[in-house]
Amino acid sequence: MKRTGAQIIIDQLCAQGVNTVFGYPGGAVLPLYDELYRNAHRIHHVITAHEQGAAHAADGYARVSGKTGVVIATSGPGATNLVTGIANAYLDSVPMVAITGNVAVPLLGRDSFQEVDIAGITQPVAKHNFVVREVEELEHILQEAFRIANSGRKGPVLVDVPKSVQTDACEFVASLPKKMADLKPLPDLTEALRAIRKSKKPYIYAGGGVIAAGAETELRALSERLSAPVGLSMMGLTALPGKYELNLGMCGMHGTYAATVAQAECDLMIALGVRFSDRATGNVKEYRKGCTIIHVDIDWAEMGKNVASPIELCGDVKAVLASLLQALPPMGNDAWLARIEELKQQDVFPASRDFAPQNIIETVNRFCQEDTVVATDVGQHQMWTMLYYRFMQPRTLLTSGGLGTMGYGLGAAIGGSMARGGQRTVLITSEGSFGMNLNELATAVSQELPILIVLLNNGVLGMVRQWQTMFFGERHSQSTLNRKTDFVALAKAFGAEGVAAADLKELEAALQQLPEKGPVVIDCRIDADEMVFPMVPPGGTAHNILTRRNPHA
Amino acid sequence: MHKFTIELLVANRYGVLNRITGLYTRRCFNIDSIHSYETAHPGQTRVLISSTGDEYIRTQMVRQLAKLYDVIEVTVHASETKPAMAQAEYRRR
Repeated sequence: MKRTGAQIIIDQLCAQGVNTVFGYPGGAVLPLYDELYRNAHRIHHVITAHEQGAAHAADGYARVSGKTGVVIATSGPGATNLVTGIANAYLDSVPMVAITGNVAVPLLGRDSFQEVDIAGITQPVAKHNFVVREVEELEHILQEAFRIANSGRKGPVLVDVPKSVQTDACEFVASLPKKMADLKPLPDLTEALRAIRKSKKPYIYAGGGVIAAGAETELRALSERLSAPVGLSMMGLTALPGKYELNLGMCGMHGTYAATVAQAECDLMIALGVRFSDRATGNVKEYRKGCTIIHVDIDWAEMGKNVASPIELCGDVKAVLASLLQALPPMGNDAWLARIEELKQQDVFPASRDFAPQNIIETVNRFCQEDTVVATDVGQHQMWTMLYYRFMQPRTLLTSGGLGTMGYGLGAAIGGSMARGGQRTVLITSEGSFGMNLNELATAVSQELPILIVLLNNGVLGMVRQWQTMFFGERHSQSTLNRKTDFVALAKAFGAEGVAAADLKELEAALQQLPEKGPVVIDCRIDADEMVFPMVPPGGTAHNILTRRNPHA
Repeated sequence: MHKFTIELLVANRYGVLNRITGLYTRRCFNIDSIHSYETAHPGQTRVLISSTGDEYIRTQMVRQLAKLYDVIEVTVHASETKPAMAQAEYRRR
């Protein structure tokens, strides 16, 4: 049977189990959108306000569902608008396939209208990318794209399909995607087991790889078996329930006091599915001192990249943990557990005032279910969410870790809500980040998604201001916005609901009357000088941890 | 710091040389010289890249190159050893 390239793309999306895609039509993808029109019963396409929002939505969809997110854009500006979204997915190892149109093959390389070399542009920020030159190779390339995106260390793959390839036809027999067995042999555990048995003060540092591998149960089992406290990277924050007693919360620059100090005092660190980002380690030489590190990760290149000479266990975290658990008896050290308990007791810092970010987030938390998906943007509000929101289930947090993309949250919340069949999703954001991609309110309205947007509005770029206050002599260069945006009116103009909250009572009242359908913006006015603490200053160590402003004053 | 040569066997697909040199650039690895030629096997190309660097750079280069989709085999030669002496550090299964 003859099939066109556009038909092959639809067939392959269906064969891959894709039923929701995000995108934006345009000249170079018209043949593909024509097939999407005919196949609307099989594939639900969500049109966003901007391609970047579509990419973040596909990313959020993938993080919540564990499936590969799919985004479609046209050539030229449509494709370049995806770049931030692709880079964001790359830095956070999120499986995504981006399909872009391009000019017809004979027009390639001639600076044709809306032509860019998107494969060249995305090469450093995608796991791989393909340019399809002939329709005959399209099916195989799409299968490879999905396989690459969702295997090993996951990530985005771009497939650039010129318009002529979409309209060309070839003989086609749909083949099912091949299941690839994980051939990776288990690493030798001898050295790691010896180090674990010798340890008096073990500490587990777990990250996004644990969630990607679905190894949450094994992580908890290891922590219980060794009586080892766990510090989580931001990407791994939902790997353990917030109420688990050995879960110390997030570690790193704005990590909890308990996680930071426990890490500094441990004699063994078992690092699971992490890459030792500079934001997680601070001064890496000091970080490394005094402890043996066992590094478990699927990505060989991460071993020794940021932290020197770990015991390398390269493999699937779930498989490695399962075999470690088989070999390890229950262990425990009362002195270490007592010290951890002491650190947890010390890790309580009261809110500065009634309507402080901490109290706002804890109030929102009380109105959420255990499976509610929470998205954030980037900045102070993001760190406050990590510190004060108690996550209970894996895949309930959508946040931009590696790239730190302001404007990520709303698109991601849309994708996250769609992945849960239109369930209520929360976006905690601030007016700086929200201002970057708030046009996606239109998408949330058109899709009738019940997204609760909590705006921590302090009129400034809070994290920039905090650094300027602390490290640049209070010179607040370009971080005071003075925009006078009326977010309640803005929400209403988009067809969403908008409410202002000046205190906790008003916030609670708004949370009690959330609309069943469509987004609502709650504009919470907070103080411009609220700061995120604890903080390990850049390049610092646990000894430099600041738990409040002007500790020496 | 010492000199060494990385020998790659790669699939000769769209932009493969660009991917390899792009990786060197963004990981801040230096290329002293680069040489690329077709092999007897259709569709496969051999690339020889000489660099100067320490053990960290050498190890990272091998592992980062091994992640590229088009890379089939990575072998490292200390500049003074004969090519035939070295074993591949990575081979695609």
